[in-house]
Amino acid sequence: MNDLVLVRKNLFRKKLRAALMLVSMLVAFAIFGVLAAFQRSFNSGQDVAAADRLVVVNKINFTQPLPVAYFNRVRGIDGVRQVTHLNWFGGYYQDPRNFMLVFAVEPATYMDVYSDDIDVPPDAHDAFLRERTSALVGEAMARKWGWKVGDHIPISSSIFSQKSGTHTWDFTIAGIFKNRKPQIDTNFMVFQYDYFDETRSFTKDLIGWLALQTVSPADNDRVAKAIDQMFANSSYETSTDTEKAFNKAFAAQFGNIALMVELVVGAAFVTILMIVGNTMVMAVRERTREIAVLKTLGFSGRRIFGLVLGESVLLALLGGLPGLGIAVLVTLSISQSLSNFFPGMAVTPGIALAALALMVALGLATGFVPALNAYRLRIATALGRG
Amino acid sequence: MRSFLLQVAAVTTINVKSIPQRFWLSLSTIVAVALVVVVLLAFLSMANGFQRTLSGSGAADVAIVLRGGAESEINSVVLRDQVRLIDDAPGIARGPDGKPLVSAELYLTVDGIKRNSQTKANLPLRGIGQEGAAVRRDIRIVAGRMFSPGSNEMVVGKGILSEFQGFDLGSTVTFRTTRWNVVGVFEAGGSVFESEIWADLPVVQSLFNRNNAFQTVRARLEDPASLATLKAYVDNDPRLKLDVKSEAAYFADQASRTTDLIQKLGWPLAIAMAFGALAGALNTMYSSVAARATEIATLRAIGFGGFSAFVGTLVESLILAVIGGAVGAAATFLLFDGLTTSTLGASFTQVVFSFKLTPALVGQGVVLALIVGLIGGLFPAFRAARMPIVAGLNE
Repeated sequence: MNDLVLVRKNLFRKKLRAALMLVSMLVAFAIFGVLAAFQRSFNSGQDVAAADRLVVVNKINFTQPLPVAYFNRVRGIDGVRQVTHLNWFGGYYQDPRNFMLVFAVEPATYMDVYSDDIDVPPDAHDAFLRERTSALVGEAMARKWGWKVGDHIPISSSIFSQKSGTHTWDFTIAGIFKNRKPQIDTNFMVFQYDYFDETRSFTKDLIGWLALQTVSPADNDRVAKAIDQMFANSSYETSTDTEKAFNKAFAAQFGNIALMVELVVGAAFVTILMIVGNTMVMAVRERTREIAVLKTLGFSGRRIFGLVLGESVLLALLGGLPGLGIAVLVTLSISQSLSNFFPGMAVTPGIALAALALMVALGLATGFVPALNAYRLRIATALGRG
Repeated sequence: MRSFLLQVAAVTTINVKSIPQRFWLSLSTIVAVALVVVVLLAFLSMANGFQRTLSGSGAADVAIVLRGGAESEINSVVLRDQVRLIDDAPGIARGPDGKPLVSAELYLTVDGIKRNSQTKANLPLRGIGQEGAAVRRDIRIVAGRMFSPGSNEMVVGKGILSEFQGFDLGSTVTFRTTRWNVVGVFEAGGSVFESEIWADLPVVQSLFNRNNAFQTVRARLEDPASLATLKAYVDNDPRLKLDVKSEAAYFADQASRTTDLIQKLGWPLAIAMAFGALAGALNTMYSSVAARATEIATLRAIGFGGFSAFVGTLVESLILAVIGGAVGAAATFLLFDGLTTSTLGASFTQVVFSFKLTPALVGQGVVLALIVGLIGGLFPAFRAARMPIVAGLNE
């Protein structure tokens, strides 16, 4: 009989009590897994941001427009490898509640600037450039609505209208693109700016923002300063930032989500520490005589210490791992319906590793006091009791 | 019957008095239940605070006119000719000068710096005319003065001042090539307008190149029932492809999306945590029954019924849960109630609001705590009632 068998037998001596502690561990790690996935999705904008990509927006606010002429002027700045421009379309499909991420873009440069993020098949690439009313649709969006290449899709705007008065534009799907990195979400579509600018009923020659790639991330600061200086004191001043900084500021607009997640996870873990920690103390106290007997048989204090710690760590793992499994199932089942707001929600290997480390840490923390009690236990006193 | 009640009372007293013997275990149950209640009430008071701010913003007798299909002010466009047609519409109240109380407004987004994160945030800049304040009630300048017509002056809501940097009274803000002076701070009865910056409409229009366009039109109605009259007028005119809603309905709709989301996060989290706390409660109560096995058996041997053991155990569990619920509610009140924060609203701009705990919400928290206590006590109570006397006496 090795120590592991002893640890296991001890843990499940009182089955109901062990089951209850496992349940509370399970709940804590299910909460941890889901919230960590949620937070990761919330911060995904910062994680996917390319180091060499800058965003140029109107200095007043990013919802204010910029003149389309800025596209060519920024192009000429030294250190800019490629630049493209994008427009928020405010798109929805059939019903305003089916809100969609739709952008009007400059096609050729868009596919170049984002070539590390999205994988556009060669024939789709050519068709998108060739056909004015075509659109490129992300794989996730196409899957969600069951769209195929060549489909005609009517997409409406909650902001813009066509000169004819309708809010709906018809697009032909030129191709479906995939992501090149797993953390890039493809629940969006793009179409040609020229088509957009000619057909919309108000505002002309104005774009939403510019996205550009620098020759090297080392040029970022210099290029950003050069752009903002170029347009200083004009009626459209700019603010240029790295994509990462821009996305981070945008996420912060929703509030301090990180703090909220930390508070809830913290509350769940404090609960565990209290419940499991106390139960372990009680369980070991009940075994006082038995531990004294083990010591009499020649088990060293350190070995006893290890046995008790092993028991609490085993408990944390047996409860925590299925809890993490539940978190995986929960995120899988809700990620589709939340994809517009929280793209790419998933329990990643990084989250799983963090959870594993926390399980060991919680196991050690809940087992430490009872293990110490067992370590210090004196045979004579213990056997003398009762 | 009387002796039965006395039995129950006696055993319950013994149960409650024995709680300190399991001090740490009982305390851990109380803390676990308290944390469940804190998590639930923090989310619910956040949702409630947001909802109050928005619902307090809308009046039933003010109509808001938006471009057809635009769900929020920021997406809407109304042209000058359309505003003139609305001026002539029936059902609209008139001011002392006999002019209709109609306010065409421009709604733009500008950057501010959020104080607690030091990041840029979207703030609404509303261009309003003389009628703007007349259409709304409850607008009060609390520091400085109102902007003067035709000048580059602005007034800011109280919420802007507390949550964002750069708009202090007396400071200067530059948009495009124009400098603006912040000349006043206003209160708006805790409504969403306190999260806005107001300036003179024609000045904002010309400085932002929006000369003939507005975002929305607000009109004070003769009475809430006149909404239908105005709606019919707008629907019958082909030049007016506009949606007419009461301001109350508009804000209620905007509030529901965010509060739904917060509640949909809060309840599942609290319920999941309640399962963890339930495990703790069951554990504590089974330990309580085990620790008192001899005592229960002795009582049964001298003629006490099983039911009194049942009630005693259940009451002990409920007491722990109620203490936990009360501690949780008190902690939420101290930590969160009145806490001011801001988030992005439906118009894609920041809405400043405060957490608001109400007795009804506390009631929901206590009910959740009681459910934990009830289930956590029920099964151990059955065990206590059914315990064989001989086995108990042998322990």
